Amino acid sequence: MRLEARVHQIFRDLTLDLDVATNGPVLGVFGASGSGKTTFVHAVAGLLEPRAGRIAVEGRLLGERPGGRWLRPERRGLALVTQDPLLFPHRSVRGNLVFAPGAGERLAREEGRRIVDVLRLAPLLDRRVDGLSGGERQRVALGRALLAGPRLLLLDEPTSALDAELSRDVLGLLLRVKEELAVPMVFVTHRAPELLAIADDCIVLQAGRVVAHGAPVEVLRRPSALGIAQLVGVDNLLRLPVVEHDAEGGVTRLGLGGGLFLAAPYREAPAGTDLDVGVYADDILLFLHRPTGLSARNVLPGRIRTLDPVGREVLVALDVADSVLRIRITPAAATELELAVGREVWAVVKTAAVHHLGLG
Amino acid sequence: MLSEAIWEVVRLSLLVALAAVAVSLVPGILTGWLLARWRHPLRALVQGLVMLPLVLPPVVTGYLLLLVFGRSRPLGRVWHALTGGHLAYTTAACVVAAAVVGFPLLVEAIRLSVAAVDPRLEQVARSLGRGRWDTFVRVTLPLSRPGVVAGAVLAFARALGEFGATIVLAGNVAGETRTIPVAVYTLLNVPGGESAAAKLVAVSVVLALAALLLSFRWSVRRGES
Repeated sequence: MRLEARVHQIFRDLTLDLDVATNGPVLGVFGASGSGKTTFVHAVAGLLEPRAGRIAVEGRLLGERPGGRWLRPERRGLALVTQDPLLFPHRSVRGNLVFAPGAGERLAREEGRRIVDVLRLAPLLDRRVDGLSGGERQRVALGRALLAGPRLLLLDEPTSALDAELSRDVLGLLLRVKEELAVPMVFVTHRAPELLAIADDCIVLQAGRVVAHGAPVEVLRRPSALGIAQLVGVDNLLRLPVVEHDAEGGVTRLGLGGGLFLAAPYREAPAGTDLDVGVYADDILLFLHRPTGLSARNVLPGRIRTLDPVGREVLVALDVADSVLRIRITPAAATELELAVGREVWAVVKTAAVHHLGLG
Repeated sequence: MLSEAIWEVVRLSLLVALAAVAVSLVPGILTGWLLARWRHPLRALVQGLVMLPLVLPPVVTGYLLLLVFGRSRPLGRVWHALTGGHLAYTTAACVVAAAVVGFPLLVEAIRLSVAAVDPRLEQVARSLGRGRWDTFVRVTLPLSRPGVVAGAVLAFARALGEFGATIVLAGNVAGETRTIPVAVYTLLNVPGGESAAAKLVAVSVVLALAALLLSFRWSVRRGES
């Protein structure tokens, strides 16, 4: 998939100005609400005509402003799935699925059977849509979009109206859609784990601008992107290799480099595979000397890289082997411990404070 | 029981009202859609013009219609070219008067109903490859059907009661333009006409009430769904 998008649009409170080219197959669009994510998707879909811009998918020009053509949404061959499934209430599940031109024929073919199979739609086909649960609705919405045979699927926060378990389920389905049906996607989300799980390439939008573009794991943990860490809500994002397991002890040890390990809750994965984990900056304790007799499994030596006062907090960046840990403490603690850049301290993290991100 | 003369009046009234709704239904749907979805400074003016017959005295509406359908006016000429006759004082004039006076009620019910359709459903339909017209026919119109039905019933009831514009444009020709209200007015001016008038009044009340009850029922159904 090749998507080139340049969009310039001015709203009362936001100027969206972005220029992105990606080979996907799944482009993640990450940002807080109000950052311009939906506007971007609508411009790609043709539902919104920006002041200036150019949209091309697979080298096919879909729209160019000012001047040039601006294809109507129905001529773009893209299908949109939003947070709200937006099923047509006057049609049955089947009626929704066959809504797009050609969808009926597609449904009858092998291609359609695979979509029905992957999304587990067979038992729903003859139901009315008002009796469906939230997860079922979103599955039908995905099926309806896929049966349109889109060149590119536009997903605008498709899981954010669902609870944690259901959104994991829908995300798992999207992964199968990506892998088994090979449909390229633009995936908008404000949840970092989803981005890590599904996107190959990602942009981070902040106040209408692309502040980072690259592989999700790189983008999300880039030290310069402090704002991103705040957006993510998890201050420490680490992609670390599995070194060994202690299944009985309930621990999986991940390599931090320099012979140091990070003990995480047990997770089945072959040694050597990378796992994404997150640690909140509030969940890390600092000690001046190596503490003993602790239940916490992680007692890690480090050197203070930076000390940043942020409001009534101090954000400490600590070099631990090859990684950087961010730790939030009070100014009082920073003063009392006489913390300073370059000082060596010990960081303590409970195993349970190491959260697995992504699926599995 | 009702005499043949009274039946004739009732039949004519029902025919005129049905024809009035029939001819205004398609323009009413399109106008309601336009007023609900069109974002343009001129929208308010168009809406005002459409609503005008609701607030103008019907006699004034009838007089304006008489002017625009006059023999030497463009609309009058078009009518003459199409039918070979003149509109005034014909059954068709009753239909035109009833349609124009009922039009605001029809449009307003449809406008509200279309406005209540989530525009995002239309956006999704477009993104799934359906054009503007297809989206209207497959999504917007079916979802506004309750409003269309309720509007049609209201316009029908209004058409049954139409008097002012009718008497000016269509006059009072027995068997041709003498609808229920015109007949009641005529009977009340004739000595001994009260009993026949009373019967027509009763028929009027029954028809109007039935139409209103149907319209309520359809709007309740819509509220429940």
